[in-house]
Amino acid sequence: MAIAILIAALAGATLALFFQPRWWFPDAISAHAKAYDAHFVVTLWIVGCIFVFAQGLLAWVVFRYRDRGQAPEAHEGSGKLEVIWTSATAVLFIGLAFAGQGIWAGIHLEASNPHALHVEVLAKQFAWSYRYAGPDGIFGRVDIRQIDDSAGNAFGIDSKDPNGRDDITAALLRVPAGRPVELYLKSRDVIHNFFVRELRLKQDVVPGMTIPLRFTADKPGTYEVPCSELCGLGHHQMRSALVVMAPGEFDAWLQEAQQKVAAP
Amino acid sequence: MTNVARTGQMVLIAASAMFFAALTSAMVVRRGLSGDWAAPALPAWAFATILLPLLASWFVHTGRIGIAALAGAALVASQFALLANLQLARIAGAFCFVLIAAHAAHAAAGAAALARFGARAAIFWHFAGALWIYVLFLFGVWA
Amino acid sequence: MIIFSIDHKVIGKQYIGLALFSVVLGTLLSLIMRFHLVYPDAKVRLFQAMWPDGAPGGQMTPELYLSLMTMHGTIMVFFVLTTAPQSGFGNYFLPLQIGAHDMAFPVLNMLSFWTTALSLLTLLAAFFVEGGAPLSGWTAYPPLSGLGRITGPGEGLGQDLWILSIALFCVASLMAAINFIATIIELRAPGMGYFDMPLTCWGWFVTALISLFAFAVLLAGGILLLLDRTAGTSFFIPGGLIVNDQVQSRSGGSPILFQHLFWFFGHPEVYIAILPGMGLISTVLSVFSGKKVFGYKAMAIALVSIGGLGFVVWGHHMFISGMSPYSSIAFSVLTLAVGVPSAVKTFNWLATLWGGRLRFTAAMHYALGFVSLFITGGITGLVLGQPGLDVYFHDTYFVVAHFHLIMGVAAIFAIFAAFHYWFPLMYGRFLNERLGKVHFFLTFLGVYAVFVPLHFAGFVGNPRRYPDFKEYEFLKSVMPLHIGVTHAAYFLGAVQLIFLFNYFWSQRHGAIAPANPWNAATREWRND
Ligand code: HEM
Ligand SMILES: [Cu+2]
Ligand SMILES: [Cu+2]
Repeated sequence: MAIAILIAALAGATLALFFQPRWWFPDAISAHAKAYDAHFVVTLWIVGCIFVFAQGLLAWVVFRYRDRGQAPEAHEGSGKLEVIWTSATAVLFIGLAFAGQGIWAGIHLEASNPHALHVEVLAKQFAWSYRYAGPDGIFGRVDIRQIDDSAGNAFGIDSKDPNGRDDITAALLRVPAGRPVELYLKSRDVIHNFFVRELRLKQDVVPGMTIPLRFTADKPGTYEVPCSELCGLGHHQMRSALVVMAPGEFDAWLQEAQQKVAAP
Repeated sequence: MTNVARTGQMVLIAASAMFFAALTSAMVVRRGLSGDWAAPALPAWAFATILLPLLASWFVHTGRIGIAALAGAALVASQFALLANLQLARIAGAFCFVLIAAHAAHAAAGAAALARFGARAAIFWHFAGALWIYVLFLFGVWA
Repeated sequence: MIIFSIDHKVIGKQYIGLALFSVVLGTLLSLIMRFHLVYPDAKVRLFQAMWPDGAPGGQMTPELYLSLMTMHGTIMVFFVLTTAPQSGFGNYFLPLQIGAHDMAFPVLNMLSFWTTALSLLTLLAAFFVEGGAPLSGWTAYPPLSGLGRITGPGEGLGQDLWILSIALFCVASLMAAINFIATIIELRAPGMGYFDMPLTCWGWFVTALISLFAFAVLLAGGILLLLDRTAGTSFFIPGGLIVNDQVQSRSGGSPILFQHLFWFFGHPEVYIAILPGMGLISTVLSVFSGKKVFGYKAMAIALVSIGGLGFVVWGHHMFISGMSPYSSIAFSVLTLAVGVPSAVKTFNWLATLWGGRLRFTAAMHYALGFVSLFITGGITGLVLGQPGLDVYFHDTYFVVAHFHLIMGVAAIFAIFAAFHYWFPLMYGRFLNERLGKVHFFLTFLGVYAVFVPLHFAGFVGNPRRYPDFKEYEFLKSVMPLHIGVTHAAYFLGAVQLIFLFNYFWSQRHGAIAPANPWNAATREWRND
């Protein structure tokens, strides 16, 4: 009796809290992020209905069949029921799996855009660096023996490669609003994770691999990037930011950075 | 032999097979990933050791358990000799090392079980013999 | 000899004792972690006394937090949830339920317990070595865990001991699995077919089969990782790494390969934790409804299909790992498919209650609580199983909430139910029913209060495995939530003392139990 009430109360409170607005997703700043939110809400409704149905039924059955001296009924199974609820959940769950693929395809299965801005992202214990190809549009070769963090060469850009001379390295990821961006994620030591909440994007950065990640941010602002794969004792301080700029501002920043590289 | 002993050995064999399957699939994946695969050169006599488990199985079959266990011990000894010459810094050598060492553990356990339990441990011994043929095949042919 | 006993009942109790010790330790560690998360700058003399290097001046370092987290997870998953339901209660009651005199291999049984004990000691030793316990989490991903001291404190000898401990645990679990499987196949009472076994036995049977294959693979992965650390091999370590400004001379290894091996074990591991509980809950619900289990055969088949499908869904832990996006799609469909037999079990539990006459004993309370928690924890699996959605939630507190509810707390509720249900057979006395119910209500409330709010930290994007939340602007907003959770955790920890008191007190002073107090139909109640 008391337990039926408690189950109902806790399930009800859980449900209600899922609708509280205080701790919720941050702003969505890309078409993908908006699609994500829409699909999440759909999923939440489906899952919420299953939750209410199952917990409600549990609480009700417990209440209804509490010991009042009645004789227990004798049914011990029904092939028909088993078939019904097995196939119903199969259709529902597997349907959900297919419904969710659109979001996934939007992140990983779309062709890269020829006009995308390319940026290399380098993670190490416990900092992020970003590299832009410069006016020539070509990333210079890297050579790990030339890596020198204190001289600002976290990537190890090879000084002998002319393509690398105009490469720009930066501590924040600056991108223009509205333009497709293609990141190339690399790590120098252990696994890290690049996470932008507002883009609803998260990707492990795995040493030995270069992993592409595409997005188009449409809202200027500064968005924190928390490392999201345990990488050691400074993991919780491995912070960076995505700065989405108005296109004109971005061009001005890029020009200034290029001049700095050209005139050492 | 009791059913319990037979079933126990069959289940143990399933676990061992899974363990070797895990190592093998790790090796297949690792080999496919990077261009640094260079097959380890096992000496020619390594492939002759295939006779030892076969002989031992035959001795078990004909009831000469003591000699069978000795043949098993000889196999383990030859495996140690192989291990001593493998290069761990090369990935193929490292896999070869792990598989041979894992097999040596099985062969030693199998031989000890023969010595202790006699013909009741025959099933596991036959499995260990087949496993050695598999390991030699991996590095003699596939790698 | 009592210590190295080969009697299955004694060994069962030894396993249960080991799990009780571990759960107390694991809980204490979690309370310290919860404290640190909300008071990261507090200086606590006790911390300094316990960890002079990890908490200089009483101020806990991030590496100490991470090592407590690693040990908490490892202890809970391996030494509590893998140990108590299967090896503990299974050892004690499987032979009784199938009418066998003992397990098939009593000496092997004794050896597997002592190997488990050695494994626990090896793990705990990591606290006391130079650098302390490892900080790479219970998943120990290389390269963080594969390069030695250079990647962080605790990654030296501490991590070696951790791997050694896990390897020993694998061996012990393999021995136990062989024993369980051989016992069930060979020692069933004459005339008892597989479909005459109680569902508890089905739970132990499928769990043993899963253990057999899962631990064999984890053992292989552990050995390769240990070689990467100690022999300079490159199974999992790629080339061109510069760690702590030192160039590493490895080449060609794949960190993702380790993840495949780990999760091939890791996902089935969560079923190892929960399936014995599912079996027991079926029994308890049926006994206290005065009805047979609804859909017995469907329940047995569901257990087997969960066990089977459980081996093909491991990739859902790796959606963001960098593996092929196409395999994510396959893993996603299979993952939601494994939800189907879980839902089928829930429906059958509800149908078992339907039309019954429910007796609300303490054991029944825990069983009903289990079903509720199983729903609450399981339902978020439908969110995380979709790679597109997991992209946001992976490695946030949403996942922490999900797995604690379904794997942690639900399985623990099954253990509580088992204690209340079987105590009369184990000690000839009852656990105090009233204390049991009080403990149930407070614990049930406590777990919802601790773990439900963590979902919302996940909504905000709060990463897990952070020793504090000071660095980020966006995490300021979740602090009130974390403070609430920490206080709820204190409450939850404190009310566990009621159970501990009941457990020890009732062994001596509990009401004497008659022969078959619950009116159960299974064999273990007939033997004595
Ligand atoms: C009093 C109850 C418990 C509390 C307050 C608690 C609290 C915590 C906390 C604070 C973390 C760290 C989260 C993070 O920093 O990412 C954690 C992690 C974890 N807990 Fe618990 N926990 C409890 C019970 C359990 C139980 C019963 C299990 C059994 C499965 C468990 C398994 C784990 C695991 C596997 C991890 C992950 C460790 C890792 O990230 O490597 N916990 N828990
Ligand atoms: Cu990190
Ligand atoms: Cu899983």
